[in-house]
Order: sequence, then C-alpha cells, then structure tokens
Amino acid sequence: MARHNLEKQLNILEYALSSLWRHRLKSLSVLLVFGAVIFLLASFQMVTQALSDKAKQVLVHTPEITLQKMSAGRQEAIPLAYGDKLAGIFGIRRVVPRIWGYYFDEVRLANYTVMGLEVAEMPEGARLDTTLAKGTMPRPGDDAQGWAVIGYSITNALDLAGRDTFSLFRPDLSLKPFVVRGEFSRDTDILTNDLIVMNLADARDLFAIPAGLVTDLCVYVANPTEIETIAKKISETLPGVRVLTRPQIQKTYQVVFGWRSGFGSICLLSALAAFVILAWDKASGLSPEERREIAILKILGWETSDILAVRFWESVIVSGLACLVGMTAAYIHVVYYAASLFRPVLMGWSVLRPNLHLLPRLAAGDILLILAFTVLPYLAATVIPAWRSATVPADSALGG
Amino acid sequence: MLIELSQVSKIYNQGRANEVRALTGIDLTVEQGSMVCLKGPSGSGKSTLLAIIGCIFPPTSGKAAIAERQLARLPDRFLTLHRRETIGFIFQRFNILPELTVLENITLPLLPLGVAPKERRQRAHELLERFGISHRALFPAGQISGGELQRVAIARALINNQPIILADEPTAHLDTTLSREFMAIMLQLKAAGKTIVIASHDPLVFEHPAIDRTVTIQDGRIHVP
Amino acid sequence: MFLNPWSLALTLCSLVVLVLGTVAAKTAVRVLRFWEPGSDSNQQIRLENEIWLSSTLVAYGLGFQIITLILFVLAADEFCQVIVGAMCATGALLANPYGMPALLVKLFGVFFYGFWILLHQLDIRSEHYPLVRIKYLALLLLLPLLVLDVTLQTLYIAGIKPDIITSCCAVVFGESTGGSTNLIVGYSQQGLLLAFAGSIVGLVIVGWGLLRRWQAWLAGLYAAGWLWFFVLSLVVITTVVSSYVYAMPYHKCPFCILKPEYYYFGFALYGTLVPATFFGISAPIAGLVRGRAGLGGVVARYQRLAVQLSLILLVIFSGLSFYHYLKYLISGGEG
Repeated sequence: MARHNLEKQLNILEYALSSLWRHRLKSLSVLLVFGAVIFLLASFQMVTQALSDKAKQVLVHTPEITLQKMSAGRQEAIPLAYGDKLAGIFGIRRVVPRIWGYYFDEVRLANYTVMGLEVAEMPEGARLDTTLAKGTMPRPGDDAQGWAVIGYSITNALDLAGRDTFSLFRPDLSLKPFVVRGEFSRDTDILTNDLIVMNLADARDLFAIPAGLVTDLCVYVANPTEIETIAKKISETLPGVRVLTRPQIQKTYQVVFGWRSGFGSICLLSALAAFVILAWDKASGLSPEERREIAILKILGWETSDILAVRFWESVIVSGLACLVGMTAAYIHVVYYAASLFRPVLMGWSVLRPNLHLLPRLAAGDILLILAFTVLPYLAATVIPAWRSATVPADSALGG
Repeated sequence: MLIELSQVSKIYNQGRANEVRALTGIDLTVEQGSMVCLKGPSGSGKSTLLAIIGCIFPPTSGKAAIAERQLARLPDRFLTLHRRETIGFIFQRFNILPELTVLENITLPLLPLGVAPKERRQRAHELLERFGISHRALFPAGQISGGELQRVAIARALINNQPIILADEPTAHLDTTLSREFMAIMLQLKAAGKTIVIASHDPLVFEHPAIDRTVTIQDGRIHVP
Repeated sequence: MFLNPWSLALTLCSLVVLVLGTVAAKTAVRVLRFWEPGSDSNQQIRLENEIWLSSTLVAYGLGFQIITLILFVLAADEFCQVIVGAMCATGALLANPYGMPALLVKLFGVFFYGFWILLHQLDIRSEHYPLVRIKYLALLLLLPLLVLDVTLQTLYIAGIKPDIITSCCAVVFGESTGGSTNLIVGYSQQGLLLAFAGSIVGLVIVGWGLLRRWQAWLAGLYAAGWLWFFVLSLVVITTVVSSYVYAMPYHKCPFCILKPEYYYFGFALYGTLVPATFFGISAPIAGLVRGRAGLGGVVARYQRLAVQLSLILLVIFSGLSFYHYLKYLISGGEG
C-alpha cells in the first residue's frame, strides 16, 4: 500500500516534469521572474546578515563598558578624575580614557572618525596589531607623538599613496601634522574604514579639548559575565554618567540592521506581490488544449486529487528551481560583487562608502525565512487555479 | 450481464431553466463477449448513454450496474476508481496527446495506478508489438500516421486489461480502409472475450457482421422499429 | 517590532494561511447547507468538487503551519538578540505574555490540521462520504483557531520592545540577580527520567497489546498515555535532555537544540515526537467513527498502521532522547 502510493507519486512527479517540459516557454518565464524576486530578497537578507555579523565580530574589540558624561541630555566631555572614583569597584580590570570624535574635511567634504587613546594602556592593545594591514600600534613605553593609524578610505581620501605624512586643521585653523605608522586591514572596514587612530594627547590637541577632559572612558572588565553587574555599580557610583555596555551596543546594532532589513523586505514585497499576481494569472488561464488534456486524463482514470498532485509538483519544482537559481545568484552577488545593487540603501550613513568584503553564512533558518517569503505565497497563489483546472469534467473529452 | 441498465434517465441542469432531458427510461443489457452498436443521430443521447455505461457520470434515476457494481449516485471519485479498472475508452479523433510519445500516451492510464516505469514499458511494448507499431514507441504521437494513431488509441484502451471497450464515433474521421481495419481489430478483441460498445452512425460499423446487436437511440429513448 | 524580516515573514505566512482558511470555511458553509448525497444536481456536483478544494487547502495549511511553527521559534531566537537580557528563544518568548500562548496555539494547530486530514482520508474511503458533516463542522472551527493564532502572534510581535529586560533560560540579567527562571523548575531529574522511561515501557506494552487484540478500553488508555507522554516529553526535553545536548548543566532550553550549533538535533527530536503523538492519539480516536457506513475495515486498517507507526517513532524518539544522556554517562562528559 505504501509502496503503491510512493510509486504513484513518483509517476505523477514524472508526469509533472514532462508537463513542465512541454510548456517550457511558460515554465521558464515564470522561473526567471520568480528567480529574480528570490534573488532580490535573498541578496537583501544575506547583505544585512553579513553586515550584522561583521559588526558583531568587530564589536568584540570594543571595550566592555563605555562611560559618557551627559548634560542636558547631550554628551559632553568627561573629567579624567571620574576614572579614579571607580577604583573601588571590584572586577574592573582597567579604565582607559578616550577621545572619540568626527573631523570634517572641508576640502574633500568628508567625515573622518577620530579616535585618540593610549593604545599601550589597553589590556589587549598588542592584539590590535592583528587588525592592521601594515605598520604597528605603539608598544607600552613607546610614547611617540604625532602618529596616526588610518583606515583604507582615509588613505584614498588624503591621497597618501606615495607619502606617509598629512595634516589636519585645528579649530583655530592652524595645521597639525601626522605621520602614518599603520593602516587597518580591509577586514575591519565596517568600523575602521573612515577611522584615524592617534595618541590621546594628539587628539586633545587636534580638537582643542582642555586638559583633564576626554570624550569617554572605556572600562575593561575581568569577567565578561559580570558586565551588567559592574555597569550597575558604576551607574550607582557616578549618577550623571551614561553607562553603555557592549551587549547593549550589539543589540542596538542588531535592531538597526533588523530594521533596515525589514524596511528593505517591505519594499521587495511589492515585487513579490506583483509576481504572485502574475503567477495566479498564468495558472488560472486554462487554454482549450489544457482543458482537453485534463479531461482526457480524467476519463482515463485520473482522480481530481491526482491532477491536483500534478499541479502541486509543478509548483514545487518551479519554486524549488527558482529558489536554487535565485539564492545562488544572490550569494554570488553578495560575495563576489559585494552586493553592489543594495549598498547605497544599506550603508548610506557615511559619506565615504566602505568598500566591504561580505561573507554571508546561510543557516537552515535563513533559507527557511527566504522560502517563507517567496515559495509559500507562490504555492498559495497557485492552489486555487490548480483546483479549478483539476475539476474540469471528464465528459468534456467526449463527443464532437 | 456485464452491463445492465434499467429505467435509466439523465437530466442535465435539473430544476433549472436550461434543464435538458437527455435520456428517458433506457433498458439495456449487454452480455460479456458481445459487441453492441449504439446508433443514432448526433444529439440523440447516444453520447450520454455511453458516458453512463463508461462510469463518467451516474444516471439521474434508474439503475445502472457496470461489471456488477451499482453506479447510482456514487461520488465522482468512486466512479473514477471503478472506470479505470473496467472501461477502456476509444474516442472520436482518438484524443491522443500529440506532444507525448506513443509510449507515454499508451501508459497514461497506468500512472495513477502506481505501476512502476519498467512494468509500464513492458505492458506497452506487448501491445505495440501486437498492433505492429513497436518501431513508433518513442515518436511523438503528433508525428505518426492516422492508421498508427488509431492503433495507439486502441492499445491505450487495453493497457489496464479492462473487460469493457467503449468507442465513441471511432470512424467518424477515418477513410474506408482505416474504418475496416478498426472493425477488424474490434473483431479480434471480441474473439478475445472483450465486451465492446460502439456509438456510431456509420453503416460500416453497424452493418458489420461482428456486431451482435444494434440499438437505435432517438430523442433519448431506445427506438423500437 | 514589525520591521524585521522574521516578523514580516511570520505575518505574511499568517495572512496567507488566513486567506486559505477563509476560502476553506466558505466551502464548509456551502457544503453544510447544500449537501444532498442522493442528488444529481449541478450544485451537488460542484460541492463534490469543492471537497477537493477544501482538502487541498487544509493540506497546504498543515504544511504552512509546520513551517510557521518552526519560523516562530527561529524568529524568537533571532529576537533574543535585540531584547536586552534574553539569551535565547525562551527568553524572547517570555518577553511578553503572548509568546508562549502563540507557540502553543500553533502547535495545537498542527494537530488540528492533522486530525482533519485523517478525517478526510477516512471519509473519502467510503462511497457514502459518511463523515462529511463532522468534517465540515470541524473545518468551521479552523477559522477561529486561525484568527486566534494570528492575533496572538501579532500581539507578541507588537509587544517585542527591543529595550526591555527579560528573563531567560539561564540567568536573569540586570535588576534581579539570583533566583531560577528556567521555563520549568522544581522537578528532580532522576524522578523525571524514571517516569519518562516508565511511560515509554508502558506505551510499548499497551501498543503491543492493541496490536495483538484491539480493545476499546485499552485504546482509550493508549490515547491518554500518549497525551501524558507528550507533555512529559516536553518537560523532560526541557529540563534533562537539552542540558545534556548542550553539555551545560544550567542551560535548559527546549529551543536551542533546534540550532545548527547542535546539528539541528531538536528537529529530529520533535520531528519524531509530534507525529508519534499524533498517530498514538489518532488511532483510538479514529475508532469513534468505526460504526459509520463503509468505514469499519478502513478504520481498523488505519488503527493498526497508526499504532505500529507510533511505536516505531517512539523507539526512535527514545533512542534520540537518551543518546546524549548515555553518551555522557559512558564518557563521563569528556566526549
């Protein structure tokens, strides 16, 4: 009985394949349009996913807790002395002051991110070297001044191909010179692309921040599972200070990427809707030849449910192939062409466009998500037309 | 009795303005191994009668037993299940799907029965051999001659070894030679024990010596001269 | 939080299912009003055709329901990344009061579709279509279920606020430290495992007895046993099996086992438990319609098949659930 049923389904599948082949022009056109819709959705999904993965991966390098002073709801410089007040909190490994800001280059109309800190003071400062494509970060005891480590786009923007010095304007429009001692690797582009890392004192000089003040304090914690507890203690000790923890920042990124991806999906859903309408239209128009074919099959002993099964298999084969084609194309698009179709939408927050190398990971869940977006609506759109065609009465094959 | 109809009537669109009384009070029995011709002009109810015998739809009233099974008000599904075991159809213009190969056309009735491809091919080849068209097995049915097409249609009606063969105006679009050939094959099948009902108003059919009985249908009733 | 691909996919699927369900319910109303078994009218012929429409729609509904069920759990797992304090799907589902009910309604939906398809398959085996009325009355219940499903799911998604702190399967973050917040607490592992193993043996014995000789009371016991076993299994998976899969004594989550990190082990586990329970419960329930015209033989055949299937799946399920536990006992947690 089970064997018989299996054999029957195989026979019906065989017939569905041959039927698709007989109407190959129609099948191919549906396949291509459907494949294109899946391609758009899947690329979008893969890009946002790769981006958020990348952000997560890069955020590992950020401090566990960041402290910022808030005044009237806006951030302002935080006194270095605040760091001393934290001395009593157990579990803090180190407090590193940092100046983080944006430098607007009026000549090139671009924003650079400037980060000034004592690299040598960071607990894993030495490991930062691994993020560099060339050069080194300063070692402990090395108190060189006037150096900078820059991201890829800065090299281009400042046209540093043949030289390793450049100058930036202080607020009073005097020039401050820098020597490039390192360049970030392209792998960390999402965070470092427009970044200039420099000595804390140099940054203070560049932005003319008074002595004893920095923009934020980075707190490194000995045990990562205690982040929340320590963050709570800090916020009790320093009431006027905003305490940002790494997990929180990660979640914020996640929300932003999720939101962007959701927004993009909504836009793409209209494409899907158009396709579903097309699919419905294609499936519901029964030509006289198709009617005749179904009537013949039915008179020869095919049940209504057998014809429904043929239509079901046809839909499954078309959507399965479209998925395969669409997803493969999307993967190629994202990995080898860096998602060039969507980058303006997804990474529009910076004037300098990071030139990213993206590598999406595709778990079964993500594939299921794309299936839910595309194949399910398609199957649903074809079910009622399929039933209409399956209920063509057998006797219409009789007579003249 | 393989086919037993008593007081069979068929009304289309019952209870509506476009109600049509297609058959009224038909009594008909056909014994196993006999060949019967249903004669009558088009629109006489011949095709409706053939459809009831062929388990395509049930009669509106009366009793119809085909191969010892009562058809009255069986749901469509059960008519289909019964039809594919008992009835082989030969259509007017043969109703062959031109894009499928001869082999595929012949084995169409076997697909929903869950017959494996190997057995399907084997059964089809036996029949093709018997009708001398094995060399055409893999040709698209749209590319073979009329005589071959006719034999393909007959082979398809025999593929599941059904006891009853129904033919609906089989010779309407054939020349005399092919019509004769058709009747010759029917004669062979009759000799092999098949029960055959042919709806036709072609004298070549109803005057053929192999026909045991000719039933004339007129205005939905059996016409007794 | 609707602007998230997972929320959108869930909502889209629900809307699609709702549309299909509405069409099916429309058919149900027509069949219940106009079904005349003896008639040859065009109406009746159309209704007979519509039976195929509704059964196909329900079959699609079952497929879609299973997909949305999985999608829902995976979405919760994704949401936990944006809910501060939630570390996995449990935390995300407990983030507001609609998560768990939505999940349970979806799970119930899978069983409902399953039973309906069984009813349909039995019905079309008899020339009299003896279950038409029951079948379509049941189909009418589908619509409220779908509406409930969609409502709960929408409320859940709407209630996901990316900044609230929730509890999770392992620890509570932020405000209240300490205090266990596992999904299920307060059972001794040994006791549970004993009950679990005992129930498996019990079910096998009853099932075997049924296969030897079918008795109504024994069948009732079998169905009740499966219902009990299903709930027990969910508890055991959460509190015992899962932590052995994770090899972490305090990670007790029935959902993380679905993730690729654990080789999608959960799919095998639930993929045997749910159908096993379905067959186990449906076999005796099918007995209720045994007396209908033309169904005696069909039902008896189904019952034997269902008991056999449920027993085979039970054996696989038991093997899977004890696999990690035994591995741990044998290797001492070193493997």
